[in-house]
Formats: sequence, structure tokens, C-alpha cells
Amino acid sequence: MADQHELDDEIRLDALEFTYDELLAEDPYEEPLFASGVRCHGGYVDGAYVSPRGRVRRPAIANWQQRLRDAGEPLVYVPGRYLPPTYPNYAQAKYLLKEGVTEPITRSLTIISIIEGFGARIRDVPVPDLRKEILEDIAGTALAHLDGGLFEAHARDEAGHRDQGGHKQMWESARDIGLAKPHIPGDVLMRLMTGSSGRGRGERLFPDLSERLEMLITTMANVLVVETFADNTFTWAQQLLGDPEVSADAEAANHMVTCIASDEVPHVDYLTAAISELRARTLISEDGRKELRGKEVVDAIFSRQLRGMATRRPQENRERFREEIHQAIDNKARASMIARRFEDLDSGWTFPHGDDEELDILLETA
Amino acid sequence: MSFRRYFLGRIFERAYRGTRIGYTAVSVWLRYKFPRWWDAYRGRDPDERDMTQIHQRNADQIYATAVSLRGMMVKMCQVIGTRSDIFPPQYVKTLSQCHDALPPRDIDTIRSVIEEDFARPIAEIFTDIEPTPIAAASLAQVHGATLTDGRKVAVKVQYPDIEHIIRTDLTVSRRVAAIYSRFDRNPMDFLPLLDELQRHLRMELDFRREVESAERIRELFKNDPTVVIPSIYPEYSTRRVITMEYVRGVKVNDKKALETAGVQMQGYMTRLMRIFNRMILAYGFFHADPHPGNILVNPDADGRPVFTLLDFGLAKQLPEGFGLGIFELMFSMMTFNETAMLRAFDELGFETQTGEKETYLAIARRMISRSESGTFQGEFTEEMTDGMFDAIRENPVVTVPTDFVLVARAFALLSGIAHSLDQRANALDALGPG
Repeated sequence: MADQHELDDEIRLDALEFTYDELLAEDPYEEPLFASGVRCHGGYVDGAYVSPRGRVRRPAIANWQQRLRDAGEPLVYVPGRYLPPTYPNYAQAKYLLKEGVTEPITRSLTIISIIEGFGARIRDVPVPDLRKEILEDIAGTALAHLDGGLFEAHARDEAGHRDQGGHKQMWESARDIGLAKPHIPGDVLMRLMTGSSGRGRGERLFPDLSERLEMLITTMANVLVVETFADNTFTWAQQLLGDPEVSADAEAANHMVTCIASDEVPHVDYLTAAISELRARTLISEDGRKELRGKEVVDAIFSRQLRGMATRRPQENRERFREEIHQAIDNKARASMIARRFEDLDSGWTFPHGDDEELDILLETA
Repeated sequence: MSFRRYFLGRIFERAYRGTRIGYTAVSVWLRYKFPRWWDAYRGRDPDERDMTQIHQRNADQIYATAVSLRGMMVKMCQVIGTRSDIFPPQYVKTLSQCHDALPPRDIDTIRSVIEEDFARPIAEIFTDIEPTPIAAASLAQVHGATLTDGRKVAVKVQYPDIEHIIRTDLTVSRRVAAIYSRFDRNPMDFLPLLDELQRHLRMELDFRREVESAERIRELFKNDPTVVIPSIYPEYSTRRVITMEYVRGVKVNDKKALETAGVQMQGYMTRLMRIFNRMILAYGFFHADPHPGNILVNPDADGRPVFTLLDFGLAKQLPEGFGLGIFELMFSMMTFNETAMLRAFDELGFETQTGEKETYLAIARRMISRSESGTFQGEFTEEMTDGMFDAIRENPVVTVPTDFVLVARAFALLSGIAHSLDQRANALDALGPG
């Protein structure tokens, strides 16, 4: 790990090249973060929570994004109107908790923690030699740092590392604080395994490219959409676990979710930078004979991922959750009344249609 | 047969089996040691010697002993036969025949078991029974047959003397373990494992339990077109006979036959791991003996593999929350999160007499260090299981839950299948929806 004084000397505000250790460097925390007795990542500076591994990563990402803006290149993004709302909504979830139907909420929060933990798999994504597969120079870009610290930092944030917990443990803690250590349903992994499938993800759109490159772009697009969609989940969890009427410790539970939400910001930002950088470049086919416009490749892959994740998947999830919740309600004494009231609180959601043209890649012009 | 003659026969058989096992162990050991001593004496490097012939001779002798003695020896060979990543090819090729290609017992012996259990002539149950078995394994053999109503079935029939053989092997094994513990300066306590093995073999010998287990697994996969559990006909099944639907298929690790049958190999192991994840991690009741002889494969209309699970004799119920505990352990090992690792070991029921938690970390580190990449990426290999036992041997205060041993063995068997297909048996990769 780079020494703090060295870092102070070496990092310049306009720097674009960083070492692996620099991108994992920590801020000088005054207090560590503990979640339900487990030491977690990040910590407090002047009483405020500071996300982990941000000392260099934060300015680095800002610099890479600024470089794109300076070059007039747009940044990809997912507009808010495509973010599926969390189901059940806050009012419904609160009502369920008040009626003692805690199991579906506990299950949801546990599954969120497991899925967050799986974010660590990003460190296993094989990164091809991008200098050979991209025509233009990639020095000083987020792309050049994916396997140079960015993926590793992301993985550690999600699942923890060594003696520090990550988002997996922090979500578990938020659940246990807010719902007073609820019983974890034994079917959590079964529900996870029988959830909506990722059908179609494996089909290749650009067989001329190396499989590794296409897989890398697909994974980054996928994770970017998931991370962006998580915004609504954070808001929902902050409201619900931060509600003193149903939360055992509203302030602490809300704070834990807020910490996680702030940790996720650099993930969205570096992926946005890397995907946008790819979009602005020329990709070389595996046999070296063809050149493909990055814009064409990235737009097609990104749109396919967004299309699937904004339409079919949340709709399937919603239907499955609804069924599970009604099964849990059925075990209660006033089942029909609870079920009716639960449905009355549903705010509904019109899912974008799969062939909605607006689901094509969306760009924020510099 | 007089009681005296019967009694003497049993004593003679026990002595014979013990001597044969001991003779085989010493022969194998000496066949490796003598050349090394000779090479060292002649000033040559023993590692330079071509061991192919020695491996083959040892494998042949072990196979001959197993085939002759059956019982637990066959069970041991079945595990070795799946480990192409650990054992030399001569062992794997020779001992993998123990999966379902053991020399069969004669059909008259089999007929007598059926007639004894049903208390009527065999012709009243089956219009014909094929004299050559489809498979012959350690406890039973399977024959194709036709029911009197014309249905084609497979009949699994237990060997008439198998209970006695198992009892003898366990006694011999206990004595060997006792001798070993006197000679090894830091011995591992095998007795709890032998107790567990004894319990399981007893369960395996009651086929009625196997029928119940198959029904439970069938219910779990009733909506999954990638899994087939052959239908069982309870009216034609007893404590020693199971009559089930006749299913054909390719052996799960026969790469050439799978390709010839047009089975899609991309994602093949992930699909198989997903099936076992559902049983072990999610459902808590699982087929604990996934050796290649127990899994057949057929392609569906699109070439995707459909797995037929056979032989539910060693199905096991896990305690509530155990699957989640195993998942948490694998997950924490993958992310090197030591705090979470300690919690997972605790939740799974590992114990130290002193309460010293560092021991758990020593176990985990040893397991991880035995993996190919030096990291844990979701595959529980046999090297890792071996690493765990090595670490336990060095820290004898640890109690290992027997359920964990069985789960680790099942994952190790799946890892062996994966390796013979040049794939990976990554449990964590296979945790998502199919």
C-alpha cells in the first residue's frame, strides 16, 4: 500500500495514471465503521462517513470523466424514468411490517445482501489486452485501470476483504438493526436460484470481436445498469428501515444504508467513464482484419442489457414477490383484510415495452 | 449348514478380507518404495524414474482386490476413479470401472433374492429378466426386466451377503485405524468418520428409504426439465429390491460419448452444479453420492443436457440453515473475509475445545492454498478437502460436523467429473437462476 505522505506528494489534480495500490488507497479515517459488531470498510473523518478506497480513486474517476467532457464525448447513463420502483413499495412494506408479516422483507434484504456480495465476482472478469484490441491509445483512461485496481476496489467494496466487512455485511447489519435480528427464512437461497433468469445474455452480438472483449463490455454494461437501478432500492430501504414506527433502531439502520449508497457512487462513475471511453474508440476484430466503431458495439450491447433489465426482469420479479407476499399473508389471522389493504397501497408501475426505442443507449452530452 | 460351520465360515472370511486388504496395502507401498530405495542406493534421482508400469500394476491389484472383496473397497475405488486431476491416468482408467462395471453376480443369485423378498416365483412379477446386468456396483446390481403388464423396467437387487461383508470391512477398517493411530505420531481420529460411514451404509442397505428419498428429490425438481428422476414402482419394490422406470443415457463424464450424443458442452457443469446447489444449499436434502455411475445424460431437443439422477441410497437431510452456512463459508473464502469465515465455521457447528478461533483460519488458509490458483473461486476440490483434513490433523482439538464432510465429498466428486471434462465445478457461479 502506498504511503500516505507519498500519495500527498504524488497525486496531482489533473493526474490520469495511477498505480494499483494508489487506486486502493484509503483516506486517513479517525474512526472505523462498525456494523453489528463487525468492522467494515470506510470510516469517519470529522464525524462524517467517508467511503473506502476513495483517497485516489475519487479524484481519478473525476479526472477521467472530465477528460471525456473536454474531448466533447458524451457519457452514457440510464434515465430515472427507466428505474423500476422497488416492490413492495415503502407504504406496502411498512404495512406488512406493522402487521407482523416480516418474512418477505427479511428475505428481500437478505437476497440484496447476497447479490451485493456477488459483486465481488467482478475481480474475476478477464480483461483482455485492450492495447491490442483498441486502435487508439488508452493511456490515462479508466479502461486502462480496470484490472489495475478499479475492479479489485469494486470487489472489496461489495463483499469485504480480510478483516473488513463490505456491502454484504452492511446490508445484513441494516436488516438486523432495523428488524431486530429477524429469523432468516430457510428458503433464501432457493428463491435466489429460482429467480428470473438471465436468458439471452450468452448470445454474442459481435462474433468478430474476441470473446473476452465482448464479455467485458457486456459485464460492465450489466453492472452499470444494476448499480443505477439500485438507487431506488436505497431510497426504499432508507425510508423503511429509517421509519421509527417499524424500525428497531431507525437512525442506525438508515445510516448504514446511507453509507452503502454513498459507496456505490464511484462504481457507477468509473463504469460510466470506461464504457464511454470504449464508445469513443475503434475496436479491432480478433483476427486483426476488421475495425468496428466502439459506438456501434457499445450501443448495441448496452441497449440489449438495459432492454432486458428494465422490462422483463423486474416484471417477473414483481410477480414472484407478489405471490410470495400473499403466501406469507395467508398465514395470518386476518389474511383477506391484510391482502386487500396491501393491494390498495400498490402504486403500480407501467413497465417500458421491450421494443421501446427510447431504451436505446442514452447519452448525457458534455 | 450347522451353526459351528457357519460361525467358522464367518471368522475365516473376516480373516481373509483383513489379510487381503493388508496385503494389498503393503504390496502397493513396497512397489513404490523399493525402486526409490534402489535408485537412492545407486545414486540416481528417484523422481526421474518412469512410474507408468508401477502405477498400472498397483491399480490392477487394487481393482482386483476391490472386485474380489466388493463392499467398502469398491466405494473407495469409486472416489479414486473420478479424480483424474489427482491420480495418475492408470488409476483413474482402471478404478473408474468400479462405478458400474464390476463383474456381476450370477442371475440365479439375483433371482433368489427377488423370490425371497416377494415370497413368490419370479415369473409372477417379471415376464423376463435380462441375465446380463446393466450395471453392477458395490452393494447391488441392476437388470433390465419386463413387468407382467409389459412395462420395461430396471430392477436393482441387493447382493444377499452384503450386510455381512460391510460389517466385516468396517471391523477391519476400525482395526487398521487403531493400528495406524499407534504408529502415526499425530494421528487423525478416523473413528467418527467410520461411525458415520457405518450409519450411511446401513441406510443404503434399506432400499425402502431410498425410494422415499427419490420421491423427495423428484418433488423438488418437478418443474425442472433438466432433471429426471426415474419413476419407482413401490408395489414391485422391497427392502432389497427396487423396480423403476428404465432410463437410458450417457455417463456424465464420458466426454466422447456426450459429444457423439450431441450434448451441448457449453455451460454443462454449471447446469449440473445448479442441480446440486439446489439440493445442498437451498433445499437441505441431497443426493450425497454423485459419482459418475449415478448420473446419466441425454440431450433435449436443443442439445442441452438433461441429467438423470440414479441411486438415492445415500441421500441426506441437512440441518436447517446448513446450506446457507456452507454458502457463507464458500463466499467468505472467496472474498478472503476472515471475520465472515469465522462466523460461518461457528454456524456450521465446527468446534474447538479451547474456543481458539485461529484454528478455523488455519483450516481455511490450508484449504485455499491447496486450490490450483491459490485462491478460492467457488470450486470445492478434493485437494481442498484433503487440505482441510491435514489442518485438522495438526489441530486435533477441532470437531468437524459430519454433514460438512459429506457435502465436501459430494462437491469433490462433482469437481472430479468436471476435471475429466476439462470444465470447472464452480458452486458459486451456479448459484444464480438457470
